[in-house]
Amino acid sequence: MSFREKSAWITLITLFVLTILFFLHFPQPWQVSRPDQFMFHVTLLMIATFIGVEIIAHIIIAIRSPRDARTPKDERERLIELKSVAVAFYVYVIASLGSVFVTLHLGANQFSIGYLLLLSFVLAEIVNYALRVIHYQRGR
Amino acid sequence: MRETQIENRIRRLRFDHDEMTQRELADRVGVTRQTINAIELGKYSPSLEVAFKIAEVFDVPLEDVFTYPGGQA
Repeated sequence: MSFREKSAWITLITLFVLTILFFLHFPQPWQVSRPDQFMFHVTLLMIATFIGVEIIAHIIIAIRSPRDARTPKDERERLIELKSVAVAFYVYVIASLGSVFVTLHLGANQFSIGYLLLLSFVLAEIVNYALRVIHYQRGR
Repeated sequence: MRETQIENRIRRLRFDHDEMTQRELADRVGVTRQTINAIELGKYSPSLEVAFKIAEVFDVPLEDVFTYPGGQA
């Protein structure tokens, strides 16, 4: 498995686990009467955890295969990224427009809108990295 | 997604060049080993530039490395 395939797996799994934890375990803005500082801090904690896990995991795989880590992206890897990002872009646009539609019609506070937009972004990134993994497995 | 219709003789040419490894060929062409493997298995069609570089490594014309049977009448 190439360095970038491992990298895609790490990002996908980290995003997936943190998303499940964040959106299912903690109370969401529409579930409480008045969102407080706690939710803001949980959001920051999740983002910091994601960055920390990414850095540590990438350092580990770079140490295990330094040659692969140093090799610049080649044309096949760039093509895989482009194909994945193209699909993820539409996921993001549809999900964020859906968020706006839902919040406008169901009535929501600014925290709910922010949460749904964040969810749209995370969903698009999960699709992005899931597609990268699939393309790497297929070889193209 | 269909696999490429372009056929190649990279495996044979590597064998003829002292069992050159995929890694060695990849380093000389400037791509990853996984990309050489994908090209060799017919899963990925390289750009013209990479195709020419592969032919250059083996010191043969491009058509000795890649063929397109679909184009033959």
